[in-house]
Amino acid sequence: MSLLKTKVSRRKFLGLTSGALASTLVMSNFGVLKKVGASEEKGNSKYGRKFVPSTCAICVNKCGFIAEVDNGVIRKINPNPKFFKSRAMICARGNAGAKVPYDPDRLKKPLIRVGKRGEGKWKEVSWEEAYDYIVDNVVKLVRKYKNRSTIAFASTEGFQEEYFIDLANIIGTTNTVRHPTLCLASNIQGYSSVFGTFPDADIANAEFVIIAGSNRAEAIVTPDTIDMAKNHRKQTLIYIDPRATKTTALADKWYPIKPGTDLALVLAMIHVIIKENLYDKEFVEKYTYGFDKLAEHVKQYTPEWAEKETEIPASEIYWLAREFAKHAPRSIWYPGRRSSFYANDVYYRRACAILNAICGAWDRPGGLIPKSKIPLRKYEIEFPIFDWTRDRIDAGKVPFLGDVLPEEDKTDAGLPTDSCQYLSEKDGSWILFREAILKGVPYPVKGLFVYKQNPVESVPNRKKTLQMLEQMEFICTIDVAMSDTAWYSDVVLPESTYLERWDPVHSLNGVVPIAVMRQPVIEPLFDTKSMFEIMCNLAHKFMERKDFWEDTSEEDLEMFKETCLKRLTKNPVKDFAKYQVSKYPGAFEQLLKEGVFYLSDKPKYGKTLKDGFRFKTRTGKIELYNVKYEEKGLHPLPVYTRHTDPKPGQFRFVVGRHGQFTHASTQNNPWLLEAYGDKENAVWINAKVAAKMGIKAGDKVKVKSPVGEQIVKALPTEYIRPDVVFYVHGFGRLSKGLSNIYRVGASDAEIIVDYMESISGNAAMHETFVTIEKI
Amino acid sequence: MSKKKWAIVLDDSKCIDCKACTVACKMENHVPLGMYFYRNWVAERTKESEFPMIKRMFRPSQCQQCENPPCVHVCPTRASYQTEDGVVLVDHEKCILCKYCMTACPYDARYVNEEIEAIDKCTFCYHRLAEGRIPACVETCPPKVRVFGDLNDPDSEVSKLVKMHDTEVLKPEKGTKPKLIYIKR
Ligand code: SF4
Ligand code: SF4
Ligand code: SF4
Ligand code: SF4
Repeated sequence: MSLLKTKVSRRKFLGLTSGALASTLVMSNFGVLKKVGASEEKGNSKYGRKFVPSTCAICVNKCGFIAEVDNGVIRKINPNPKFFKSRAMICARGNAGAKVPYDPDRLKKPLIRVGKRGEGKWKEVSWEEAYDYIVDNVVKLVRKYKNRSTIAFASTEGFQEEYFIDLANIIGTTNTVRHPTLCLASNIQGYSSVFGTFPDADIANAEFVIIAGSNRAEAIVTPDTIDMAKNHRKQTLIYIDPRATKTTALADKWYPIKPGTDLALVLAMIHVIIKENLYDKEFVEKYTYGFDKLAEHVKQYTPEWAEKETEIPASEIYWLAREFAKHAPRSIWYPGRRSSFYANDVYYRRACAILNAICGAWDRPGGLIPKSKIPLRKYEIEFPIFDWTRDRIDAGKVPFLGDVLPEEDKTDAGLPTDSCQYLSEKDGSWILFREAILKGVPYPVKGLFVYKQNPVESVPNRKKTLQMLEQMEFICTIDVAMSDTAWYSDVVLPESTYLERWDPVHSLNGVVPIAVMRQPVIEPLFDTKSMFEIMCNLAHKFMERKDFWEDTSEEDLEMFKETCLKRLTKNPVKDFAKYQVSKYPGAFEQLLKEGVFYLSDKPKYGKTLKDGFRFKTRTGKIELYNVKYEEKGLHPLPVYTRHTDPKPGQFRFVVGRHGQFTHASTQNNPWLLEAYGDKENAVWINAKVAAKMGIKAGDKVKVKSPVGEQIVKALPTEYIRPDVVFYVHGFGRLSKGLSNIYRVGASDAEIIVDYMESISGNAAMHETFVTIEKI
Repeated sequence: MSKKKWAIVLDDSKCIDCKACTVACKMENHVPLGMYFYRNWVAERTKESEFPMIKRMFRPSQCQQCENPPCVHVCPTRASYQTEDGVVLVDHEKCILCKYCMTACPYDARYVNEEIEAIDKCTFCYHRLAEGRIPACVETCPPKVRVFGDLNDPDSEVSKLVKMHDTEVLKPEKGTKPKLIYIKR
């Protein structure tokens, strides 16, 4: 039954000669080491040992670290003891980051495609040539279509993403698409519809925590993961997931819920809490709106009813509800992050927020806390207004929305069926965006810039993403490695890694906000540039093209030159960072020396509970009943819709994270691949089901969905429900530039159907059914 | 000045098998890539049980820095030795790769390091101790499963933890007297 054994015994190798060991096991590694040695020579040759504080970028947490640099080579990345947001730790990925600059798979020079798309034939070019190529193509496209929005920008979060967005503004497109709709857009939407904001969880001070579908042991979020583990002996942690992930190691109880029914559980808990008068009456009266309507609405959702939906016994649901209320306000239904599960995800997240709200577990120690931030200065930049800019391609009425909604959600599920209602202007909706581009409606999008994101592997239904790329006349990708998207691009710009550059200051908002920046730990090893430098250089190149500015006014152009070209692009990031924190004396020096800056290391509670505070909702109160939703024709209260069950022979495919991998970006790191414990991923199938199907551990099976199929190893295990299968994200890759994982294992992007949650625009990742066949 | 007795006390009920300790150790100590080369590890101890009665459990470990180290006793060249403060080390120059120590160690804590052509194992990051720094695996761990310190100092955190909790060591029947001490669950 066991999964990957985490320790390999060396005993059986005792008898082997060391020579045999070397040839069978470490040959390939020596190759890597040699290359690393060679590249290290090119690095900063300054002698001596130094310790440089900066900020990790291998995942989204941005932990402070102190790098030990020996003779210009990074020897080790150590935790920063002053960085309390991650409780002075550096995870496996952060540690392995020390090897990122020396990775033989790195992009080292700008590349222009010479063969067919995806053929992998490139020529190395100078930056000048690359810039000219880009500017020529962009100007050509914008003029050809008389539309600046024909150029799209895809990116994911990071300290230099703002410069990529600046570039989008310079080109004058509205079509930026960011990662949230593949991640937590529905979560943000759901919690905000109740509290007017997306809060953090004060895990450090909570007594009773329910975490559903967020695998915090393997998807590290700081400080939550660490506080859950540290509080393990004194906090009750309830874990709800169809898989027994590593988070069960911390859990007091694990409920393998029937997927898609979490909302039924939450509604039944609310039912019990109201019926048994366990809610916080004073809080409800003073701060919330719509309690009576809620009470009436949840009468139908009894634990006995929910038992049939969720397969969690009604007695357990009573227990959960009573314990939750008993420990409130130190109780949390954990918001989680990647929340793109179902087509009605926003309603589920709303219910979770309501549960916390009626128990008064809001803005008090141990509950949900609105995030605080450290205000920073910024440059005000005036981008020109262009005549040829058009509205976002995925905004407004979308005639084909039904194509990306699951069958049962097209009619009376209470979801918008003609437009994505709450699209954030900058983020867009990945699924809808791609669909609109493929249909060419309302206009053609023919150019694409990609920064740090890898849509080929991160957006469900990989074939469609490849088709979208295929119909582009120009694609430019900026990255540190040859991602699958870079592989299908026309020009690839190598970015300096996070260890080789300055990054501006960012406030990491949370229960206790903290500010960080990046300073170079080593000089760039290769002919790479930061996103900032790339943006600046392109901005000036575009200025040289008179034919690029005819649809804007002289006045606008002057403002742009003053604010952007003279200020933003003429000041190095280091100076900007200094300016950002200039209202706090000594802050910049502290950032340089200690790697962190903060105003206080203690949480502040209760600012939303002060008299006269208005929540950012229509009524200014915590909206149990959402007034705006009612106006828009949506359910103002969370309504449960039953999801289709897999048919006999089918399984529901679920996605999930692994502690060694950040999305699809670290699988190619040999140290992390090794820590993962295997060279490829494997599909989890319930052991009994596998036995019945004659599938043994290691057998190759075909996993087939309506949109694709993948061949992958089988991993029969007791750690998963019989009706669900799973494999780790980020394998089965298409880029030959990712040498350790190219075509190894299976890609989930290839098989997940591209359904969407139409309130938030989030991808619905758990609506896919697959069949498994032994081959 | 009294002698130190370095030890690590672990509360592995907090361990989430994140492998920060194993990667940190490889980075800090130039342990080669390869699944058979490691100074520390995390074992899964989940009891064989059936869905849905699952409770996963992890146990990080490394050389136990035995007070009575069989590896040292069997080493013909004295390459394996114990320092004043009780840390078991290998003098790579003296090691002839006879592997007697690997056979003698009850914890499978040693491996052959091809790059230095010697037996290698956890040193408690002895080079760091000299600088007043704690071992890399201890420092990097998110929930701080491991606590490092001097058992001869009654005020050290390790001494307090041992006093406060029920503890156990691995394979006590071997008589090795490990200085890796586990807090009972
Ligand atoms: S959690 Fe790990 S990878 Fe993420 S920022 Fe922190 S150290 Fe880096
Ligand atoms: S770093 Fe800590 S939590 Fe992670 S595997 Fe090691 S001991 Fe366990
Ligand atoms: S654990 Fe093994 S290698 Fe370490 S001191 Fe004990 S016997 Fe020696
Ligand atoms: S103490 Fe040092 S050498 Fe020993 S396992 Fe930890 S990091 Fe590795």
